[in-house]
Amino acid sequence: MIKVEKLTKRFTPEKGLFDVNFEVKKGEVFGYIGPNGAGKSTTIRHLMGFMEPDDGISSINGLDCWSKSSEVQKRVGYLPGEIVFLEGMTGLEFLKLMQKMRRHRENKKRDELIERFQLDVKTPIRKMSKGMKQKVGIIAAFMHEPDVLILDEPTSGLDPLMQRVFIDLILEEKKNNKTIVMSSHSFQEIERTCDSAGIIKDGRLVALENMHSLRTVQRRVFEVKVKNDTDIESILGSGLQTESVGEKTLHVSVQGNDQEFIQLLSRCEVEHLDTRPQDLEDIFMHYYDRREVGK
Amino acid sequence: MSWPLYLSMLKSHAKMLGGFIYGAVAYIVLIIWIYPSIADMKGFNDMINALPEGMRKLIGMENGINSLADYIAGEFYGMLFLIILMVYVILTATRLMARLVDQGSMAYLLATPNSRIKIAATQASVMITGLGLIIAFTTISGIAASEWLISGYELDVASFITLNVLTFLIFSVIASYCFFISSAFNDEKTALGISAGLTLLFYMLNMAGKLSEETEWLLNFTIFKLYDPIKMINNETDALLMGSLLGVAAVLLFTASIVVFNRRNLPL
Repeated sequence: MIKVEKLTKRFTPEKGLFDVNFEVKKGEVFGYIGPNGAGKSTTIRHLMGFMEPDDGISSINGLDCWSKSSEVQKRVGYLPGEIVFLEGMTGLEFLKLMQKMRRHRENKKRDELIERFQLDVKTPIRKMSKGMKQKVGIIAAFMHEPDVLILDEPTSGLDPLMQRVFIDLILEEKKNNKTIVMSSHSFQEIERTCDSAGIIKDGRLVALENMHSLRTVQRRVFEVKVKNDTDIESILGSGLQTESVGEKTLHVSVQGNDQEFIQLLSRCEVEHLDTRPQDLEDIFMHYYDRREVGK
Repeated sequence: MSWPLYLSMLKSHAKMLGGFIYGAVAYIVLIIWIYPSIADMKGFNDMINALPEGMRKLIGMENGINSLADYIAGEFYGMLFLIILMVYVILTATRLMARLVDQGSMAYLLATPNSRIKIAATQASVMITGLGLIIAFTTISGIAASEWLISGYELDVASFITLNVLTFLIFSVIASYCFFISSAFNDEKTALGISAGLTLLFYMLNMAGKLSEETEWLLNFTIFKLYDPIKMINNETDALLMGSLLGVAAVLLFTASIVVFNRRNLPL
């Protein structure tokens, strides 16, 4: 359904996109992960036909995203990363304008989504909070029931409850055989919805894997507090990568060897167990390291 | 043209447009209203004639005030209206394209199945509509005010309309190059700066060119050379030829803007 082949766009020799390839089949959800400025939005801009590639091609349903953009957009719902709307409108006026510009007359899905996200559509857009604007954007992307959804950081600005509502919506659309590309810098979000994911860094795709194999390389750090010193020794003595941080407290890195970790803990008297919040670099150390070596 | 976009754009521009229309209408009515007292003032023309010629050209009173038409053309069309239209055209052109790209809301418009050509053409029509409305309202109130507000002074309606049509066409050309700049840049401030800078340069060349014979050659580099309201209202210009040339220039520049916008990369 969506095909990106050898996509290259050079802004400067260092910045841009370089030889990016991936494919998303119909009914699949593809997660696009990378730190800020890695090239996620640039790739999406190519898919939307806002940019012309220097090299390579991107296509949706066999149509070139640059030369056939208005044709492509008939079947696509788009949520931009920047949430800015036209000035001087209420949420509903904006949604109605979008509907008219799409010549879409069905209000059912729109109203259902408004209800679902509990959006007060009568509020003027300039008075809306970031989260409310994000909801307007999401509704605008989904309301015409497109076959393909391209979402640039869809959950930014949403509170945890609304993030759940959104994830449910994605899973539902997936059941309806929609093809979805979503970018994110949060692994958790991608993990719960996507079939496969691409990891991008500095304009280059460093990994393209299905969710299962990504999980096995995902590195998580647990903070373990145990009751006595013998437990500390047994953890330090195990094959796991550990780091002592304080009295009876250890950081243990787990990467695909969850089973081993659990078994080890079962032999200890654990007082407290916590996961440390991590950034992307942490999670995908595996891939990022590989790139450094490759240089 | 996308009608829904056109209507919604006009609606969101209504406030600003209304302000400009109000300003222009109020001023033209006022200036016509005080005309009898100036015309009856003895020695007014002598005073004007005492000024150096360059100065007289600059304030639009080369021959003093001999008729209501001269007065309106020189005092309103040559001065304040020119500035109102200049400001309107520069601001609106920037708002309609560069601002939407800069802020990112253009993404939503382009994400609909309307081509870039269609979106840009719609925005250009909004620009022209606004300009047309300001001039239309001004024309009507000018005619109405000289008809009912004052008595004893005649305004030749046909030549007054010619003046307004030519004014509309000249400012369409200014609008079209501002629109071109607005379509070509990603940054609102850059677009605004270049359009305003260029227009101001034209305006200053026009002023400098009118000051003396030695600087007259400067007039060849400014579009305002064509804008001579007093000659226009006295039918001393070849309105048909000039009008058609201006019209063609505006159409070409608007087309060029749309082509540029259609081809370029957008950071949306």
